[in-house]
Amino acid sequence: MFGKLMIGGAALLLFAAEVRAETIEDKVQVCTGCHGENGKPVDKTIPTIWGQQAGYLYIQLRDFKRGDRKSEIMQPIATQFERDDMLAIAEYFSQKPWPDLGQPHAPKDVAAKAVAASASVGCPACHLDRFQGDGTVPRLAGMGRDYLAKTIADFRTRARGNNPGMSDLMLATSPDDLAALVEYLAGL
Amino acid sequence: MYVKGLAAFAAAVGVGLLSGAAIAQEVKQEKQSVLGNANVSPVTQEQLNAADKNAKDFLLTNGNYAQTRFYPGKQIGRDNVKNLHVAWIFQTDVKESLETSPIVVDGVMYVTTSFSHVYALDAKTGQQLWHYAHKMGPITVYCCGPNNRGVQVLGDRVYLATLDSKLLALNAKTGEVVWTTNIADPELGYSETMAPTVVKDKVLIGTNGGEYGIRGFVRAYDAKTGKQLWNFNTIPENSVGVWATKDATGRDMHRNIQAEKDMLGKIGDPYAKLGGGVWQNPSVDLATNRIYFVVGNPSPDLDGSNRPGDNLYTNSLVSLDLDTGKYVCHFQYIAHDVWDLDAVSPTVLVDVKDKGGKSIPGVIHAGKTGHIYVHDRKDCSLIRFSEAMVPQENMWVLPTKEGARMLPGANGGVEWSPIATDPGQELAYAINLHQPMTYHVESSAYPNGKLWLGGAFKVIPSEKQSGNITAVNYNTGKIKWQVNTPEPMIGGILATAGGLVFTGEGNGKFAAYNSSNGKELWSFRAGAGVNAPPSSYMVGGKQYVVVGAGGNTQLDYKRGNNIIAFTLD
Ligand code: HEC
Ligand code: HEC
Repeated sequence: MFGKLMIGGAALLLFAAEVRAETIEDKVQVCTGCHGENGKPVDKTIPTIWGQQAGYLYIQLRDFKRGDRKSEIMQPIATQFERDDMLAIAEYFSQKPWPDLGQPHAPKDVAAKAVAASASVGCPACHLDRFQGDGTVPRLAGMGRDYLAKTIADFRTRARGNNPGMSDLMLATSPDDLAALVEYLAGL
Repeated sequence: MYVKGLAAFAAAVGVGLLSGAAIAQEVKQEKQSVLGNANVSPVTQEQLNAADKNAKDFLLTNGNYAQTRFYPGKQIGRDNVKNLHVAWIFQTDVKESLETSPIVVDGVMYVTTSFSHVYALDAKTGQQLWHYAHKMGPITVYCCGPNNRGVQVLGDRVYLATLDSKLLALNAKTGEVVWTTNIADPELGYSETMAPTVVKDKVLIGTNGGEYGIRGFVRAYDAKTGKQLWNFNTIPENSVGVWATKDATGRDMHRNIQAEKDMLGKIGDPYAKLGGGVWQNPSVDLATNRIYFVVGNPSPDLDGSNRPGDNLYTNSLVSLDLDTGKYVCHFQYIAHDVWDLDAVSPTVLVDVKDKGGKSIPGVIHAGKTGHIYVHDRKDCSLIRFSEAMVPQENMWVLPTKEGARMLPGANGGVEWSPIATDPGQELAYAINLHQPMTYHVESSAYPNGKLWLGGAFKVIPSEKQSGNITAVNYNTGKIKWQVNTPEPMIGGILATAGGLVFTGEGNGKFAAYNSSNGKELWSFRAGAGVNAPPSSYMVGGKQYVVVGAGGNTQLDYKRGNNIIAFTLD
């Protein structure tokens, strides 16, 4: 509910003032409203950023600012930051522990389908062993299910256009397989 | 504590400027210290030049400047290899893909791990002497795993290229950084996974990034200072070429030349974002002062619509002058590639028979296509190509949206894995993958250094995959023997004067084969994928064989963190 409230225009103006503040803690204060006080996002379609790879967080903020990744919410927020701010914020959140969202493991048959689909495209070649990510490639293990489903769908339609390579891979994977992957990854 | 003090001492004095007294002091300290210091004498250029005849050390990534991976020692031979046993196992701190080629200098071994760590080990005992843990920048953009394939030593320095695209010189004794140079901007898709080749005070290095729309290069840096000496763009400003319609083997590639020409008229030469990474070490011809290397795929990998022309020098053998970096010759295997069946496995210099049967200086390369290509070193021209080492079907069907099936799959044939040669037997040994795949195409504009694949290649889950070890006579192009393996192979192979070849598999098997007929003579189970090239060396009068068992990211083989050395009693 809080997350929804924050999305209003007045709230965005508030961020603008706040991000000019001094310390990193001040800068990231605004983020907790949606990405969570304790790292658990307040809404299911909001991604986990605690414990995420620093390189990836930085690149996303950069892409929001450039408009390469579209988001009515995140673009105005990211626009306030310079490169150094983004790097510092990325570093800050990457040092936090990844939260356990308590999502159930995928049932055996779903997991098997997901693993086969993953092997076919070779997801771990980039997302690494157990989907932990590295550098500018994100951790996927234990990411919120609804967010995963949304962002994968956005890759497929290129509504998320900041990584055409990922879009291509998602387009080459059947919606069926992707649904299994979402279940599987959320439950890791 | 003590180690720290010693390191500070070495830094304060400066390695090159040690006075007699200082040297004595350092030696004294080394004797007391087992940790933190590698007691190696400086490696000279003469030693490196003669590496092919040196059975004591393993000085270069692929054994010697010709990159034969033929080890001249023969204490371990066909008769006694069955008695090979573990001498030691060193566990690194990094449990990820190991692609390192261990280098051995004077009883000290240098190995690397994923994320660009370097270890100096006592080659006899496996004891750690020092560990350089690279402080990785937050931005790394790379393909196929956070790999590192090794280092090289010249003088008293160890040269390393890192995932965040830096070139470093480390103190060979202590592992301290002597200098660091930024090679290129990782945010634009540049990364380093290859081992540098150091020759005549030049550090030669290529770049990865063909999946990100980089403009590839090979460069020489001053080994003393880290200053760039020359740069060769693997993509020339005129990348269009001759509108070749056939590949090196004469098969039609189904190019729509008219459509490409129309596109060229519209967008001009696409050289600036055309990829052309270089994954592996060049070979060095000391007699002619030339280097030979292969250039990887164009960007984006599978979509040719926005890159009209032959896309020179992607998927090519290229030769340069070592001193100036000036172009000498090239030969393109696949013009306007849309399958990522590029050229990655390092080149090898051997004498070969030309078409008339005369022995001439040759250069050979094992392709992802599954052919071994044999060239004239003088002008890069193709003399012959071998029988295919893996099944080929439906070549060159164009990728489609739904996916078109073609063999080999996009990993090869022969991936980055170095081959070995045994000139006495005129044989080249290659490890291969067989992965039936569908090729899918999608179109998108250059994404500012982001993943730019132009589609996808997908393993067909219902079809069986496998691998093989193949010995090819490079003077006839005929396959001499072939050993099939249950999984696709990636890593590397070593041939020895003992009449053996050593190679490993993703399932953890590491084995020795009779190099004349492929008969398996010994094997070992490492518990993690053996997907790295083996090396061999002698210390204390005994021959050792060493290999990394760390699995593989690209093929998702079981990860480990072991460097395993074997010897006889
Ligand atoms: C008003 C709610 C809200 C606030 C406040 C907010 N975010 Fe977000 N953030 C989102 C949503 C929603 C998304 C997903 C956008 C999409 O996929 O369309 C997102 C996505 C992101 C992403 C991409 C993560 C990924 O996995 O791709 C990053 C990074 C991020 N936010 C960082 C921040 C930072 C840093 C702050 C504070 C400076 C912040 N956000 C503040 C709602 C918010
Ligand atoms: C060739 C490398 C590569 C492969 C293979 C790959 N990915 Fe990705 N993936 C990336 C990169 C790089 C990103 C970051 C995208 C960006 O920069 O916005 C990413 C992002 C993602 C995201 C977005 C995460 C977030 O927090 O928003 C999801 C979900 C994802 N990948 C799923 C998959 C799945 C499932 C597969 C296999 C079917 C796969 N990826 C295969 C490289 C890859």
